[in-house]
Amino acid sequence: MKLIRPLKFLAVLLSVVGISSVLSVAVTTKSFSESYPVVVCPPTLDGLGSQISFSSKKTQFQRLQNRTSETAQVKVLRLPVNKDSLIITSEEVTPVVWQSRSGSWAGGGLCMGPASSQWFVGGTADVTTRGRLILVNSGLSDAVVDVESFTENGKQPLRTVNVSSKNYIVISIDSLAPGDKTLTVHVVPRSGRINAFMIDEQGKGLKALGGDLVNPAAAGSKTVVIPAIPNQSSRNTPALPHTLRVLAPGDVDASITVEVLSGDGVFVPVGLNSRSVSAGIVTEFKLDPNITSNVMAVRISSTEPIVAAVKSTAVVQGKKDFVWSTAAPGLVRLTMAITGLDPFISFAGESIDVSLDVTLTNGKVVQEKVTGSDIANWRVPTNARSFTITKVGAGTFAGALVSSINGYGYFPIAAGSLLTKIEVPDSNIRVLNP
Amino acid sequence: MASLADVDKHRVTAVLVSHNGAVWLPEVVAALTSQTRPIDLITAVDTGSKDASTKLLKSARIPFFTTNSETGFGQAVSLAVDKLPQSVDHEWIWLIHDDCAPAPTALAELLSAINDRPQVVMVGPKLLGWHDRTHLLEAGISIAGNGARWTGLEPLEYDQGQHDGIHDVLSVSTAGALIRRDVFEELGGFDQNLTLFRDDVDFGWRARTAGHTVIVATGAVAFHAQASATERRTIDVKGAFLHRPLLLDRRNAAYVMLANSSWWMLPWIALQLFGSAVVRALGYLLAKLPGYASDEILAFTTLILRPGMILEARKVRKKQKFVSARVVATYIPPRWSQFRLGTERLVELVRGRVFPENTFVSTSILDSVEDEDLLTPVDTKNWLSIFKRPEVLGFISIAIITLVNSRNRFGALVGGALPSSPSGATDLWRFYFESWHQVGLGSSLATPPWVAIIAIASLVVLGKVQFFITIFFLIAPLLMMWSCFYLLKKLTSNTWISIPAALLYALSPVALASISSGHIATLVLLIAAPIVALILHDWWSIEIYSWRKIFSVSLLFSLLYAFTLMSFIIALVAAIAISVDNYREFALTLDKKLFDVRILKRSALVFVPFFVNAPYSLEALVNPSRFLTEPGLLIPGGGSLPVLFGNPGGTGSVPLWLVSPILLILAISLFSSTHARRIAEYGLGALTLAVFVGSLSISAHGNEGVAKVWTGPVLSIATLAAVAAGSVMLDSLRQTLVLSHVHYRHVLSALLLLVTGFYAILAVGYSVTAGADSAVQANRATVMPAFLSVESDTKILVLREIGSAQDKKIQYYISRGKDISLGEPDIAPKQNVEIASAARALIDGTGITSSKVLGDYGIEYVFAKSPFKKEIIRSIDGLGGFTRTSATSLGVVWRVSQPTSRLLFINEAGVRSALKAEEFSGRTFVPSAGTLILTESSNRSWQVLQNGFRLTRVNNEMGLPTFTVTEAGEISLIHDGTVRRGWLSLQVIFLTIVIVMALPAGRRKREISEKELA
Repeated sequence: MKLIRPLKFLAVLLSVVGISSVLSVAVTTKSFSESYPVVVCPPTLDGLGSQISFSSKKTQFQRLQNRTSETAQVKVLRLPVNKDSLIITSEEVTPVVWQSRSGSWAGGGLCMGPASSQWFVGGTADVTTRGRLILVNSGLSDAVVDVESFTENGKQPLRTVNVSSKNYIVISIDSLAPGDKTLTVHVVPRSGRINAFMIDEQGKGLKALGGDLVNPAAAGSKTVVIPAIPNQSSRNTPALPHTLRVLAPGDVDASITVEVLSGDGVFVPVGLNSRSVSAGIVTEFKLDPNITSNVMAVRISSTEPIVAAVKSTAVVQGKKDFVWSTAAPGLVRLTMAITGLDPFISFAGESIDVSLDVTLTNGKVVQEKVTGSDIANWRVPTNARSFTITKVGAGTFAGALVSSINGYGYFPIAAGSLLTKIEVPDSNIRVLNP
Repeated sequence: MASLADVDKHRVTAVLVSHNGAVWLPEVVAALTSQTRPIDLITAVDTGSKDASTKLLKSARIPFFTTNSETGFGQAVSLAVDKLPQSVDHEWIWLIHDDCAPAPTALAELLSAINDRPQVVMVGPKLLGWHDRTHLLEAGISIAGNGARWTGLEPLEYDQGQHDGIHDVLSVSTAGALIRRDVFEELGGFDQNLTLFRDDVDFGWRARTAGHTVIVATGAVAFHAQASATERRTIDVKGAFLHRPLLLDRRNAAYVMLANSSWWMLPWIALQLFGSAVVRALGYLLAKLPGYASDEILAFTTLILRPGMILEARKVRKKQKFVSARVVATYIPPRWSQFRLGTERLVELVRGRVFPENTFVSTSILDSVEDEDLLTPVDTKNWLSIFKRPEVLGFISIAIITLVNSRNRFGALVGGALPSSPSGATDLWRFYFESWHQVGLGSSLATPPWVAIIAIASLVVLGKVQFFITIFFLIAPLLMMWSCFYLLKKLTSNTWISIPAALLYALSPVALASISSGHIATLVLLIAAPIVALILHDWWSIEIYSWRKIFSVSLLFSLLYAFTLMSFIIALVAAIAISVDNYREFALTLDKKLFDVRILKRSALVFVPFFVNAPYSLEALVNPSRFLTEPGLLIPGGGSLPVLFGNPGGTGSVPLWLVSPILLILAISLFSSTHARRIAEYGLGALTLAVFVGSLSISAHGNEGVAKVWTGPVLSIATLAAVAAGSVMLDSLRQTLVLSHVHYRHVLSALLLLVTGFYAILAVGYSVTAGADSAVQANRATVMPAFLSVESDTKILVLREIGSAQDKKIQYYISRGKDISLGEPDIAPKQNVEIASAARALIDGTGITSSKVLGDYGIEYVFAKSPFKKEIIRSIDGLGGFTRTSATSLGVVWRVSQPTSRLLFINEAGVRSALKAEEFSGRTFVPSAGTLILTESSNRSWQVLQNGFRLTRVNNEMGLPTFTVTEAGEISLIHDGTVRRGWLSLQVIFLTIVIVMALPAGRRKREISEKELA
């Protein structure tokens, strides 16, 4: 009997523990707001032509200078842009911009959301250059942008630029490091919603030497994959030359090893094994692999973070053009609008297994699957308006090569606008306590 | 001794005045008849005695006549003198009270003293106690500036002849006073307005100013019972309002002062009399003698209402005065001597309490035998042996552990739930008293009383609050251990049990977590809980506690409630639980009186502290989450599961793998046959409550999100109960186990000791290693950069990522240019919905209108504290209406583009401009007619005055106070703190009442035994 009272106490305790478990409703301490930031396409500079591919005619857009929040539908699947930079609410779809100078060159790029760091490996500041760096401020406040330049002579003086709100400025890239041949530019916005674009255009006197849109990389990495490099060759002529441009932006020299991935296999070209790259100095290596494939990829392993790109020469309808194949980020699920481009996509990776849904201009969806190892190529159907990568393994990279009557172009397969998951903030006085 | 011839030239008539003095009269009569110098004539006056006084007088054959009972002493004497034969030279009147027995030689000594002093007209004996005849009552009297009767003696002063001799004095008591008849008649006898008390001082004063001398001759001795003054008999004299001796005494004292003092001194005297009456009244109130307190006030008031009487008295004195009033100045005690005497009395009182008289009877050295001394072994205690005592070892251990654990907490503490402390106590006082707090958008919530307590407590370190908080956190474990040891000493005599148990209490999970996370209230409760347990050990039979004790404990509870109202919940739950038990007993015994007393006392104990903490506690009724909060920031607890094992969980708590034996001890103790069982029931009850409370989530103290309740205060009770129960159980365990066969008790005991020992080792290890990296740390960098504090009272929206690297959360709040300080989270207002929306939109990039909204609420800057998501910074950059003003390692600052300030002005054309306004109230200039918007939370006490008129106040659509200005000119912005002051006054009144009730009660004079009196 004397055990009853203690047992009652324990029973009450256990009951309360049970009730508390029920009462203790999981407290959601976080709530999120998800959205795709708007993407910004480069302006069309004088003498150039631009077309932007969309996956839907209902895609909303706004001209950069428009200070209201009103947007309009594009109403077409490929929009020619005369001048302005466009701000596009494309949600998860990445629009691709195709720019060209008639009869001279062409290049492709991605319309992207504002970036906190952009590395442009490409261009030259010598007398041949007509290249330009375009800084677009899509925000409603003025922006401050740091432009860091690196050349074969090392790091150049920092240039800080103010970009007024809803506007863009164009900087001639020869002004960044006058006289230097090899250029790599790092654009770091200190404030503001900034997108940078680089056009590398070269000419000698009146003779156009070609041009391209140089696609940016977000940050340096110890493993850089450039997934699509055009390698034009024929039985009669040797393959057109390639140049690998590398920069180790840190303070320590890097040792790099370059692997070429092609249909002919994977190999390290002679002289590109454990090559030293001085920190802060843009270094170029000749890359002339003896391969038969028309497309190759390059994988660079480094002891330090590097940025890299490959400049390739291409001939289109008898005219010489050059292409800057830049590093691509790891492939993720994404949708890319490619109306009118018919890109040739090259996947690189040890084990490639990519599933795609291709939406044709008539609205039909065709499922495709690309598999392989090291490198696998796939040409997008001619009447495709967009493709969606629905499934992809880790460690796969992709880039697209596009040939047009004006020239040859490259763009990486990457998401221009990633789903931004922003936590809805709480009001808490705790923020005022150290 | 004077020669008989000298004595004989005087004629002495003794006038005996009696009034209900049958108790003392026989001895008085005997004393008069046994005088060595016979009295020439004795006459007596009886003022309406109802006892056997007249019979006694008659049987003593003393001629007497009777008057009515309202006849005062002076009037009675005058009547007696009037009936005497014609005055002759050297005739003296010897005034004898019916409670004053002169020694046989008294008259002879008095006459001897005046023999060679013809200027003397009044001489008095040394008055000794009636019962204690070594107690010196008077050797001449005077009156202090505040009307106090001044004898210049210490209370209960022993007569050793230290005041002997013949001295000039202002006056002597009428008891045994010898007065020259001619002068007595010349001065008109005693003032008829002074029916009793102070007539002696008045007469002496008048005699002095008439150019005569008054002396005391201590060779003459009289024994005085002071029956009227000590309320041994009723005061029936005319004018004795309410028959209260003290009232009459104080009134007469004031009369004497006002009637005799110089004109130019009157205002000062009146002020002194009133001031001292108020002070004394307060003293009596504290001593719970409201009757005496009212006597003090009434005495002065009734006199001052009749100025004509005083004017008449002054006229009479003016006629009698022959020398300057300055002659009495030397006999009026200086203020410093009154102060000295008062101080001495106070010191003596304290000394008596602190060092009670040693009752040890010393042995005479004559009793010792030197030879034995030689044989007695010398006590050669090695002082190092002190370190073998468990108390010393225990406290040294906790001191070392605490010092090592506190290695990151030497300096101004901040972090966890603890905000930064202001440098001085005055800041805390200001914060406590102010009616409007500049926190967030502003708050008029009542400051919690613990702020005032910290301000008071910090006085021990000269008001350095930061230093006090540091010291408090440093010594808290020692205090916890001491208080727990203090309790355990009553439960077990074995210090090898009580000291380790107390050490474990100080190293319990809740104690370690409270220090690490900055929970002041739990620390206070951990220190106070053992003392409360000790005081309330008979909580069940609360009727045995006196009301004074109930109110004393209420004061302690008030302190605990002030820190956390969770202690109110604990007390309430405990009271209800016990009352249910009491009711069961009542159902059996039907003793309603006992049941009612228990309920009443328990209710007083629980609810009186609640009202003492008003208005803070009353506001909790509107915001019930306050019942579950602690001072400082709302730091989430760990939920029910860790609480079950005595660990409050959350930031700063010990890791979950460090399982304490609290639950195990309580569970085992439940089955104990000792007192531990009862203690364990309380402990398990507290643990059950803690588990329940731990499962609740609240939103309070400026935290919009919900957080699990911190259960530290409730767990403190469970922890203490576990420690106490364990100690009680272990106390007799060894003996029980040795005497019994091996059974489950042995197993449980072994398990208990093993787990406890294991916990102790791990807790010490944790405490001195990882435990030192607590949330509370010293000298942390501030959140707000100094350059944002330059402009006073600037509202800044602060964005910051809070939490660990793995679990960060963006949060925001409105700063007034500085970090939060002690107490501010407790009164932080709820976030305004529109500001919340604007802040959210700012962060998710949709806030095109955020700038406008923030500007409308007077927010001038947005500050993103580093490290912060760069995407959001870019997003804010991209939003219109914000101009980035700086980007440093501390963070990024944007200025809201539109003009904004605390005070906005919109003119009739709709143009908005910012006006300069001080922190609270201030004056500024309005350029034209228009609308004035105060960007503070709406509150009725906001007022704007222009040209002496109050401007019309309405709340605009955003809920901000808006005032209509009709013309240009200077305006005054004020926040009317009348309501706050009213509440504070009420709180002071509540507190005073409780203190008075808790203080020891004074005794009326009639309640003091005669032995004690004299």
